Amino acid sequence: MIAAILTLCGSMALTSCIKDERANSECDILGAWVEGDAYKQYFTDESQMRPTVLYGSNTVQFTVKTLSSLPAQIPVWFEVTPGATIEPASGTAHDFRRGPVTYTVTSEDGKWSRQYEVCFIGSQLPSFLFKFDHYETVTSITNSEYHSFYEVDDAGTRWDIWASGNMGASITMPAGSGPEKFPTSAMTDGASGTGVRLQTIYGGDLAKMFGKPIAAGSLYLGSFDLNQALLNSLMSTRFGQPIDKDPVKVTGKYKYKPGPEFRDKDYNVVPGRIDEGDIYAVFFKSRDKDGNDFVLTGDNVLTSEYIVKKARVASLPATDEWTPFEMSFNEAEVDYDLLANGGYKMTLVFSSSKEGALFEGAVGSELCVDEVEVTFKDIVTE
Amino acid sequence: MKRNRIRTAILLAVALCVKGYVMAQHLPDGMQVKARVGYSIGGTTPIPLPATIRSIDAFRLTPSLMVGADAWLPVGRQWGVSAGLRVENKAMDADATVKGYHMEMVQGTTQLEGIFTGQVCQKVKQWMLTVPVQATWQPGRKVTLKAGPYVSLLFSRGFNGIASDGYLRQGDPTGPRVTIGNDKNTRATYDFHGDMRRVQLGVGAGVDWQCWQDFGLSADLNWGLTGIFPGSFKTVEQALYPVYGTVGVFYRIK
Repeated sequence: MIAAILTLCGSMALTSCIKDERANSECDILGAWVEGDAYKQYFTDESQMRPTVLYGSNTVQFTVKTLSSLPAQIPVWFEVTPGATIEPASGTAHDFRRGPVTYTVTSEDGKWSRQYEVCFIGSQLPSFLFKFDHYETVTSITNSEYHSFYEVDDAGTRWDIWASGNMGASITMPAGSGPEKFPTSAMTDGASGTGVRLQTIYGGDLAKMFGKPIAAGSLYLGSFDLNQALLNSLMSTRFGQPIDKDPVKVTGKYKYKPGPEFRDKDYNVVPGRIDEGDIYAVFFKSRDKDGNDFVLTGDNVLTSEYIVKKARVASLPATDEWTPFEMSFNEAEVDYDLLANGGYKMTLVFSSSKEGALFEGAVGSELCVDEVEVTFKDIVTE
Repeated sequence: MKRNRIRTAILLAVALCVKGYVMAQHLPDGMQVKARVGYSIGGTTPIPLPATIRSIDAFRLTPSLMVGADAWLPVGRQWGVSAGLRVENKAMDADATVKGYHMEMVQGTTQLEGIFTGQVCQKVKQWMLTVPVQATWQPGRKVTLKAGPYVSLLFSRGFNGIASDGYLRQGDPTGPRVTIGNDKNTRATYDFHGDMRRVQLGVGAGVDWQCWQDFGLSADLNWGLTGIFPGSFKTVEQALYPVYGTVGVFYRIK
């Protein structure tokens, strides 16, 4: 009884001192959309009129049938952090045909702001010969630097179609780490020009504390949602980019070297087990049964009911020479009407440790890839 | 091991009281000696509470015990001066909801610093030897009012906690956002006990009421004037001051 009274007095004394809530200091775009029947025709599907906006991204990307057919003015609407303001204002019309429009979101307390580029892009991957010659160096908040790959089409437009776990690793890696320390980086001695080096690393003491001791190098067609990296890491890898072609096989060149000691997710050595690299491609439906935009995630990338067909290398024997690999998609029926109307997506995944998503693998495993090409069926249009 | 240290300190204090009781018989005339035990409740907290703390959700009792003795000498008719020695713990175990609260986790060579919104469970432990020096004033025969400074030497320190059920923005409010869960692998823990000051200074005031023969009741408020971390320690943004009230009983040995 006395204890209860004392506790009550203590909490009341403290609670009575609670100050008024301060204005929000965050300034994120939480949602973006185009509305109205007049604009439906420009999108392959209604779900594309409201793309997912990730906290970690500074771009908002609308995928349309063709960029050239867009009207001169399209109003885009935004939902931002409560109390924050956006400039230009939500709902104002702009010309997106000549490239991205920059928006600035300012926090409720007026002290913080974020800039976003809002762009409209055509629905097709620009090229299916990936030479990995385009990358930029991103500087993290702790002054670490890591590489981020992208593609450039013949018109010079940049396509941010590749994703990796580098952003997640940057959170827990020692401050000031260089690109070569990160799981995914560019290598200057590619099979031609630069190539991709994927390495399985020890993620750092913090990462270990979070039960994620290793980070496998990965590169995939899709996006990375940092927000989920800790709570539900399998959901942070979002696989797939829109595609309007029917893939048959994937070829490329690789080098592979397994690390010396395979470790489980508790970072214990598993004697005798040799790490393996992995390369696979998945072709899947871009909408779920409710008609919502769909991406594969780490939990279902090889098992989802929306997968149409997939290709996976049988094995990647260790080699320190650039060695060709080839993998074919299994036969499956593809609806060409749907294909022409944004109904499918494809991902292509490279990983230095097959079980990297489960934080299992050997530190030091290294997979290098370059000159990857996807070939397609010739589609005879009626 | 720490537990042993605390036990040793309490035993030592009790032994000192007994020894004091024997010695007290030979002390100068007019000197009074009191042995006392008490229980403290309070907080180690920023003062005032920052706006980043939105609510205190739980406040659990801690083993904040106090054992000690003090000697008193009269100075004039109503006035006096006392000095004492105490073994005490100023602990805290509280849950709070925070918004935009600066925090940092350090693990080996890596650290994660940012702005957290969510739940914080904070545990503090401060076992210390305290020497209070107080001026006293007696309005009547049984009541003594007292006030004065104290100095404490910490011999067992604890400062750790868990941030859960929320999200962290790394660096500042525009930084990368990571959702924080509430199980072992998805919540953030921190421990800064090694950075705590060894010596604390503060002021205290209280009242002794000798209510039955040589026994009496006491109430004291002790207000820390030094933060529990040195000024050079920037990880915990606001200075945290120990502010504790103690209720106790005393026995007048002499």
